[in-house]
Amino acid sequence: MEPVPESQGTRRLRWLIRGALVWALVIFARLIDLQVIHHEQYRRQAIRQSWDELEVPAPRGRITDRSGETLAISIPAETIVLNPKRIPDLSVAVDIFTEVLGLDRERLQERLEWAVAHRRGYLPIKRRISREEAKKVRGMNLDWVEIHPDSLRRYPKGTLAANVIGSVDWWGEGNAGLELSWNERLRGRPGTLRIMRDARGKAIETEVLSPPEPGADVGLSIDERIQYFADRALHRAARQWRAASGSLVAMNPKTGEILAMSSYPSFDPNRRVRSPGELRRRVNQAITTPFEPGSVFKIVTLSAGLEAAGLQPSTLIDCGNGVIRLFRRRIHDIHSYGTMPLEKVLWKSSNIGAIQVALRVGERPLLEYVRRFGFGRRTGIELPAESAGLVRDLSQWRRTSIASVAMGHEISVTTLQLALATSVIANGGLLPRPRLVLWTQRPGGGKETIEGPPPQRVLKPETAIAMRRMMEGVVLHGTGTRARLAGYSAGGKTGSAQIFDFETGRYSHRYNASFVGFAPVQDPAVVIVVTLNGVDRYGGIVAAPVFREVAQAALRILGVVPDVVKPAPEPVEAEEAYDDLALAGLGDAPARPPRPAPEPAVEEASVTPSPYVFGPRAPNLYGKTLRRVLEETSRAGLRVEYSGAGLVRAQYPPPGAVLPAGEPLVVELAR
Amino acid sequence: MAHYRSLRDLDWGLIALALLLCALGVLQIYSATHGTEFRDAWWKQVIWVGVGIGILLLVAGVDYHHLLDKVPWFYGLSLVTLVAVLLVGERIFGSKRWIPLFGGFRIQVSEPVKVMIILLVAQQLARVKSDRLGLSNFLKLCGLVAVPTLLVMRQPDLGTSLTYGVILLAGVFLAGLPARHWLAIALVATVLLPVGWSLLKDYQKARIYTFVNPNRDPLGAGYQVIQSKIAVGSGGLWGKGVTQGSQTQLRFLPVPHTDFLFAAFGEEHGFAGVVFALGLYFLLLMQIVQNAQWAPDRAGVYVCMGVAAVLLFQLLVNVGMVIGRMPTTGLPLPLMSYGGSSTLAVFAMLGLVNSVRLQRFVN
Repeated sequence: MEPVPESQGTRRLRWLIRGALVWALVIFARLIDLQVIHHEQYRRQAIRQSWDELEVPAPRGRITDRSGETLAISIPAETIVLNPKRIPDLSVAVDIFTEVLGLDRERLQERLEWAVAHRRGYLPIKRRISREEAKKVRGMNLDWVEIHPDSLRRYPKGTLAANVIGSVDWWGEGNAGLELSWNERLRGRPGTLRIMRDARGKAIETEVLSPPEPGADVGLSIDERIQYFADRALHRAARQWRAASGSLVAMNPKTGEILAMSSYPSFDPNRRVRSPGELRRRVNQAITTPFEPGSVFKIVTLSAGLEAAGLQPSTLIDCGNGVIRLFRRRIHDIHSYGTMPLEKVLWKSSNIGAIQVALRVGERPLLEYVRRFGFGRRTGIELPAESAGLVRDLSQWRRTSIASVAMGHEISVTTLQLALATSVIANGGLLPRPRLVLWTQRPGGGKETIEGPPPQRVLKPETAIAMRRMMEGVVLHGTGTRARLAGYSAGGKTGSAQIFDFETGRYSHRYNASFVGFAPVQDPAVVIVVTLNGVDRYGGIVAAPVFREVAQAALRILGVVPDVVKPAPEPVEAEEAYDDLALAGLGDAPARPPRPAPEPAVEEASVTPSPYVFGPRAPNLYGKTLRRVLEETSRAGLRVEYSGAGLVRAQYPPPGAVLPAGEPLVVELAR
Repeated sequence: MAHYRSLRDLDWGLIALALLLCALGVLQIYSATHGTEFRDAWWKQVIWVGVGIGILLLVAGVDYHHLLDKVPWFYGLSLVTLVAVLLVGERIFGSKRWIPLFGGFRIQVSEPVKVMIILLVAQQLARVKSDRLGLSNFLKLCGLVAVPTLLVMRQPDLGTSLTYGVILLAGVFLAGLPARHWLAIALVATVLLPVGWSLLKDYQKARIYTFVNPNRDPLGAGYQVIQSKIAVGSGGLWGKGVTQGSQTQLRFLPVPHTDFLFAAFGEEHGFAGVVFALGLYFLLLMQIVQNAQWAPDRAGVYVCMGVAAVLLFQLLVNVGMVIGRMPTTGLPLPLMSYGGSSTLAVFAMLGLVNSVRLQRFVN
């Protein structure tokens, strides 16, 4: 064996080892870089790709009416989620789910391919599936399909009070009405779930970080039964008179509680909004759509006259002979009444009379009263998009403005503002704050009552009482005879304001026809204001019957004892008797011919059937003996409660009204 | 067995280091595969290591000079099997590397060929009596190594074929190739580079691209490297613990029990574990180099250094790949990665080292 070449060989060996060491150093430097210096960054990356945070939707709170009837409720639903990484065969998956869930084939194919290309492990394909669909999917038992909890908002009463309650969007957040304005409290707090997933997206482990906190229940002042009649009457009238829109507010004048609030057009909140136009239907007309009120505003003018100008209902007012000279201009009134007492000015809705009163009050005090009645500012009701209406400052008034405002022009108001102003007269002079939400209740917590600020004094009680009597006269002798109730006294005021057409810059021949009223007169239990926009008939013809229908139902439902014995007289037939048209655009000549009626809003709103329209009707027992009463009621199978002796002087419900199931017929007898 | 002086003369330090590394490997294979379809891999590896020790003892007992004398036979056998694998081999993941054997076993032919190349280079260079390697000898050796290398490239298995080249280069360097020849090699390599590039398969080109810029295709070709770096980096100083590595357990890491085992190891044992394992490799390599220095003749030096070169190359390439400092190649981590053929080949190489060691007691 030859000797090993020590010198050369060892030298070369050393070089080899040195070279290897340099390489090893590079690797060490890199390891320190990865594992020590940038460790935190990689640790976070590892966590991010293996842990998913999922939101667990919280069930939304219930919305109920004042007696606990459910108006909106969230029910558990399920969402189908695919794990595209684990799908063995895309085309099979597409086939299955277009078949079972009725999805669009191309869209699904596209989404799945995208998800696979991006290595997504989580693709919701259909939210809030039906029970049958969930059952089918579960039955297939595929390991790349997950079924996640979700919730579905349902409105069991359909269109009932829909414009008040509103609706929710695709993500379950409120997009209209109370659902929008009370979203924060209704929605609760979604919980978080951590899911550990492997590289193919399969869930390995889950951990609840925070459980979902269900939303609070909300109790409304709305009475479902009154709301039903309000919706029905308003919609029927709006369609009959081809109104562009309409609204109705029924409220308790003393507490400010809103008993019913109706809008036309309405919608079914169970249906999703599919176009911006549809969302427009979801506005609450009673608070979002200000309009020139016209003659109903005379109640404010005359209240100011009684209080600030020291007038009496019997004070004679010179209404001229249909002509008034105002600031060197002659203004013609269509009415020609001569001199008449103040109360008659209201009954007949005399424009010149109202102007004369306003002139006696003066600009500044008149504006002061307008403001005190709550016009020109938001009422503060807990609903979105409330309009403040428009009340101009004195500095913006023209010289004729006092006359316009006296008749309800150059001013715009909402139906709710009118209802509150009417309440001032109905309750003895106090402006209540509207109450829509009575209470909220967190899950597991007690009921928390929502109190509004206290009412403010607007009128002296005697002024309010005088106005009530005058407004009763409107119903009995004036333009509001179609508002007469069976068994109850009522007061009110009609109004028809020409609509200003912004396209032509003139007043058109279509009206905002309204009626403001209350009943009974002595101690009003309910105030109801009806507005129909864009009709071609007077408020006394169009809106007053809606008041009557709703008031009749509301008084019965509220259990108000009838105060009028004699049945309601037939209303006057002559159209002129209802002429309450306020003079619009003073000095201008609104001479355009009537335009063709606008297309009535489409889609017949479906109305939920109510138990209160079916059932036996109350017979007319007025003037009958107790013996006859007992015979008639037992024959009809009705229960009867009676008091007093003699002949029937009062009955409840009134003749012809539907008796709620199981409710007794109440009669009072007197000699 | 005639040449054994005593079992005591075996390099027990070397064997202990190797077995320690195998133990770390088995632990990591267990951790990376429990609960998967490869859950049997760890005890299969234990068996391979056992068989490997047997082969080590067997090889150590044979005088390596006898083996060097048989090199022409080995060479011929290697070429036959390499051609056979191209013709009848089992295709897995797009390349033909395996020949099926009895009972579901299969052998990766290119692994034992490594041992043959070591012997071939040693045998050829030992015949050179001068301190300088002549051009003709050099070219002849290149030609001999080139044939199996090209055959393996055809499989295709670029990584393993490169190890053959590394054995050749290490040997040639030790034999003392004149500087001008090195220059010539560099020149030829530069010229051949574009040609070689055009011969690369698309997936191999993609690996080079993504090595240069891993974020080029983070969900495709760059995915493995990115996930591997996240695994190693998230391990931190002390690691996440056995079976606790999210990258490994949730299978973000590709093949965490074979080629990317070191990434799984880095994640679960951290910087401390990695330094420990690399320290063991360092000691193992130094032990082999020491045996080379004590070798009775030049052939012994070449054998030992060939073994050291292969192990070092595989170690650095594999670790480099895992930490994003080398392009992705399918080279397993010697002794730790799961795999029968490579484990047995490494033990055979360690057997050669021991054979060299035992021969110094002969005269």
